[in-house]
Amino acid sequence: MNSEKHPSLLAEIPVLLRGEAEPIARWMQRWETRRVVFYIGVIALGAGAYGAAMGCWRAPLQATYVAVKFPLIILLTTFGNALLNGMFAPLLGLNLTVRQSILAILMSFTIASTILGALSPLLVFLVWNVPPLEPGQPIPQSTYLSIQLTQVAMIAFAGVSANLRLMQLLRRLSGSAQIARRVLFSWLAGNLFLGSQLSWILRPFIGSPFLKVEFLRSNAFQGNFFESVFNAIRELMR
Amino acid sequence: MNTPAVVPPPEQPDDISAHVPVQEPEPVRGVFGAVDALLREPTRVMHHLTTSTSAQLTATLLFIALAAFLLYGVVAGSFSGGTQLWAAPVKIAGGLLFAALICFPSLFIFGCLAGVYAGMREMAGIVAGLLAIMAVLLIGFAPIAWVFSQSTESVAAMGALHVTFGLVAFFFGTRFVSASFDRFRAESHAGKRVWMIIFLLVVLQMTTALRPILDTAPTLLPTEKKFFIAHWTDCINAPTKAETGDKK
Repeated sequence: MNSEKHPSLLAEIPVLLRGEAEPIARWMQRWETRRVVFYIGVIALGAGAYGAAMGCWRAPLQATYVAVKFPLIILLTTFGNALLNGMFAPLLGLNLTVRQSILAILMSFTIASTILGALSPLLVFLVWNVPPLEPGQPIPQSTYLSIQLTQVAMIAFAGVSANLRLMQLLRRLSGSAQIARRVLFSWLAGNLFLGSQLSWILRPFIGSPFLKVEFLRSNAFQGNFFESVFNAIRELMR
Repeated sequence: MNTPAVVPPPEQPDDISAHVPVQEPEPVRGVFGAVDALLREPTRVMHHLTTSTSAQLTATLLFIALAAFLLYGVVAGSFSGGTQLWAAPVKIAGGLLFAALICFPSLFIFGCLAGVYAGMREMAGIVAGLLAIMAVLLIGFAPIAWVFSQSTESVAAMGALHVTFGLVAFFFGTRFVSASFDRFRAESHAGKRVWMIIFLLVVLQMTTALRPILDTAPTLLPTEKKFFIAHWTDCINAPTKAETGDKK
């Protein structure tokens, strides 16, 4: 890929996906607002397209809501944890500034969002081939589970690919696989912790035929993700 | 830049990802030239997908695919005749092209993740090449399909025959994709293999989503959503036209 002075930002997407170490490391050295805005735009579009595909099974309105919520979770997680992630990096041996940490994580989410955006037509096709999720319409358990598992597989694939690239970048910046691993795991732990609670607050995503289509559930700010997991485990053990 | 054409390296059926000749390969001209190049010298096609004529070449390949799929569709529709003579070609051509369209973004992603140095333009050409090879091979099977369609009344048997022909055509089409990935410096083929499985599943499901293609029905498109395996099982278990006393 050509690395001219002002290359098209769109041409940077394949470079990110391929994980080309040299240009990416160069981009990390300087904060460019236009690049950051571009990454945010790609996240909004890619994750938004996937969110719409998730929600379209329930209703077009649900698709619109999730198209807004899914990128919102990613961006709120990135900027909500910006200070924490920016502090973890140097504490664990990788001399990055807070801005550089944000940039690295944004690049990773840009990769994930691009992958999810590309997979969204396939998800829409899958949803088109099953009965709609409507009140009064019986959905076989196997159908619901296959849609769920497909979505889990797609999101997992996007997440693993993006984190592999992030790991490669951190290894190049730190010169040490051990430091890169420590920093990555600390960022992942913080992002998963905040991200899961944001997902809990911003539910529903797929939706339910027994509940109306709404942006947030009325009890969105009551309880939390980890509390519900704890209660579920406690119920199982009874 | 324009050097005399050279004879490309000898064909190696098991390894069509031969290294590019140093000199510029002969341009690919016209529909028949493109078909000839696809079958005998695919590396020439791959080379010209990277030049300024790539858009024209891609359009030619897509035209070949569309025309051949439509023609094969007429042969498939001749089993039932009537409405299927136009509905089957439209569904086969439209369905395959639509399947390629929705799978194209993921091919680009998988390609990039595998380290392939090809842009959207080259990837579009690769997909067009895949469709064109599939279509041309199906045309080769068309006389066999026609003979069987005139001499059997079993929808399940004809369906199995068409799927078999389709799978053979798909196999050769994916060899073109593999060779293209090699040419564009792919570091891994895992993503390409996953994509091929996805594309195959989408195509198979598309044939069910657009049914009936061989048989007749009161509506042009199905009113019930079904997975393709469930549909095939139903077709196999359905009574034949001879058993129901229904004449063709």
